[in-house]
Amino acid sequence: MTMTENTIYQDRVTLRLIQFAVVWAVVAMTAGVYLAAELIWPTIDFGQFWLSFGRLRPLHTNGIVFGFGVSALMATAFYSVQRTSHVTLFSPRLAWFCCYAWQLTVLLGGLSLLAGWNTTKEYAELEWPFDIAIAVVWICFAVVFFGTIATRKIRPIYISNWFYGALIIVIAMLHIVNNLALPVSLNKSYSLYAGAQDAVVQWWYGHNAVGFLLTGGFLGMVYYFLPKHAGRPIWSYRLSVVAFWAFVYSYIWAGPHHLHYNSIPEWVQSLGMVMSIVLLAPSWATLINGVMTVSTAWEKLRTDPALKFIVLSLAFYGLATFEGPMMAIRSVNVVSHFTDWTIGHVHSGALGWNAMITYGTFYFMVPRLVGRELYSTRLANIHFWMALAGTMLYIIAMWAAGVSQGLLWLSVDQLGELSFDFKDIMSSMTPYYLLRLVAGLVFLGGTVLMAYNLFMTMKGREPVAVTPPPVAPAFGVAS
Amino acid sequence: MSSNIYTNLLFKSLYNPVDSFRDLSQVDPAPLQILLRYSIWLLLLPPFFAWIGASNFGWRLGAEEPLRLPADALLVISIGYLLVLLFGLVSTAFISRWMASTYGANKSLGRHLALVTMVGQPLAVASIAHLFPDVLVNVLVLIPTMIWSMYLLYKGIPIALETPPERGMLMASSLVGWLLVAAVSLLGISMALWALGVGPLLGV
Repeated sequence: MTMTENTIYQDRVTLRLIQFAVVWAVVAMTAGVYLAAELIWPTIDFGQFWLSFGRLRPLHTNGIVFGFGVSALMATAFYSVQRTSHVTLFSPRLAWFCCYAWQLTVLLGGLSLLAGWNTTKEYAELEWPFDIAIAVVWICFAVVFFGTIATRKIRPIYISNWFYGALIIVIAMLHIVNNLALPVSLNKSYSLYAGAQDAVVQWWYGHNAVGFLLTGGFLGMVYYFLPKHAGRPIWSYRLSVVAFWAFVYSYIWAGPHHLHYNSIPEWVQSLGMVMSIVLLAPSWATLINGVMTVSTAWEKLRTDPALKFIVLSLAFYGLATFEGPMMAIRSVNVVSHFTDWTIGHVHSGALGWNAMITYGTFYFMVPRLVGRELYSTRLANIHFWMALAGTMLYIIAMWAAGVSQGLLWLSVDQLGELSFDFKDIMSSMTPYYLLRLVAGLVFLGGTVLMAYNLFMTMKGREPVAVTPPPVAPAFGVAS
Repeated sequence: MSSNIYTNLLFKSLYNPVDSFRDLSQVDPAPLQILLRYSIWLLLLPPFFAWIGASNFGWRLGAEEPLRLPADALLVISIGYLLVLLFGLVSTAFISRWMASTYGANKSLGRHLALVTMVGQPLAVASIAHLFPDVLVNVLVLIPTMIWSMYLLYKGIPIALETPPERGMLMASSLVGWLLVAAVSLLGISMALWALGVGPLLGV
């Protein structure tokens, strides 16, 4: 390693992680579109086990959450932690290890899911060898991230790093505790927990994976890239710190709302419900902070196509973080649970919030990383409208399907007998599933446009060398 | 101009919305006048169509048998529907005016009320689909209409409220956020009411 490499920001690993994230987005969304088609035409699995809904579905979710989501979070965390600490990455080799080891784990893990290895825990389907690999890579990620913070040249730890830090610590805790299991063979293990305890631990994991990875981690992205985009400081830094602690405190309790009317104690359900509603406050505090930051920087919209994605992602963040607490209320949940409304809710978060904020961030980062204008602003604008249309159509189709299912499943006649046959209700959902398939295709189409646009932007380019700027003495770390 | 603004709003906004937004930007109508001479007539349409459709045919949610409700329950639901729409319109107008100071837009409440009505007008007209109470038919009619309404929102704010298009885009997105939350609240409130025994008979 030369001296220059020690004094410039390590951006090659960031660029590589962005490339992987885009590839995962296309692969996992294609799997999602195929699954949407299977729900309309069940025979298109052609009798192949690996192509069946049960095997392809975990590939879709794991590919999005761990392939696309985590790669994007690693990329943005590495990029922003260097710039907010005014220092290059701690142990760049370990960062490269994280990058490739993670991709290998997700790739082999995905193939194992297609082969039928499955713990049957949602979002934690990967079997024990992959769980160990994930834990090892994650700890390396923590070493790189916190090592960089520890060697920082600037005293304050910027708010985005608190969110990324919480992501790293809490996901490590959740992943390790939830996946404790007794292996019996290479592809089979038994969870350490049984019955209702297993359910509570699983949803403590499941909901906080949504909370700390898909919400907290991506909020780290917002807090760094939104002010950068807007060229303005965060509207209220104090509010962001208050929101962070309130968010961390309240999220961890919300898991049991996945288990309403199940065989867990009622007080646990009530606690989960109340804490889910409390969660609205810190979620919306961040929303207001984001909206107010961007509202002062409207001139930027003229020149920056990426800012639109971030503006819209905040609107969907607002929707999803309101919808969630509402669906956690037991009297709403009794109708909405197990219906397609839940799928719609997840996608208003995953498409409208996670994907859009990431797309906006990638359109911002890639031209800066390679020192070249975005290949086509027009394609980015078309992508924006495709992403918006796809998300809206998806949500509305699932709202209509979900409400119909909830109502029909529970309808009883005067004698108290169910009025409708489950099979008939499900077969009548085809038109909504067709709408959802169209929505998915439109959203995927936009993502492919972005992949092409970013590929053409970065084609044949290396990252620009950027050296950390000097630190004002008042903010420097006393040594 | 101001004498025929109501006729203009009611008809011209359907076939030439941009001109209609421009007309609106020239006047500061009284909020109550807008509500009584323009908005309320459009608000009456969806509950009226829904009442006729549901009482004659019953809602088809996808199952063989349509869901039929007793006449008095339907009347209560239709009145509730009207009140919800009224609340939605007025609250959106107030929220829009509240946002106006952040986005440098005009703060005349009458204009906000008129703008929100103009944006919602295609939906009110398309609610004629309620006469055929099949959820899928309504979804298929109302989704394109909603896209058109969203276009009107993004197009109309900068013109009618006199703010730069970029600031208008931000304001429209904030309002979309509010409208999405309002829509999902309506679903949640309906479900909670069903679970509590109002409306269809559910085994909960």
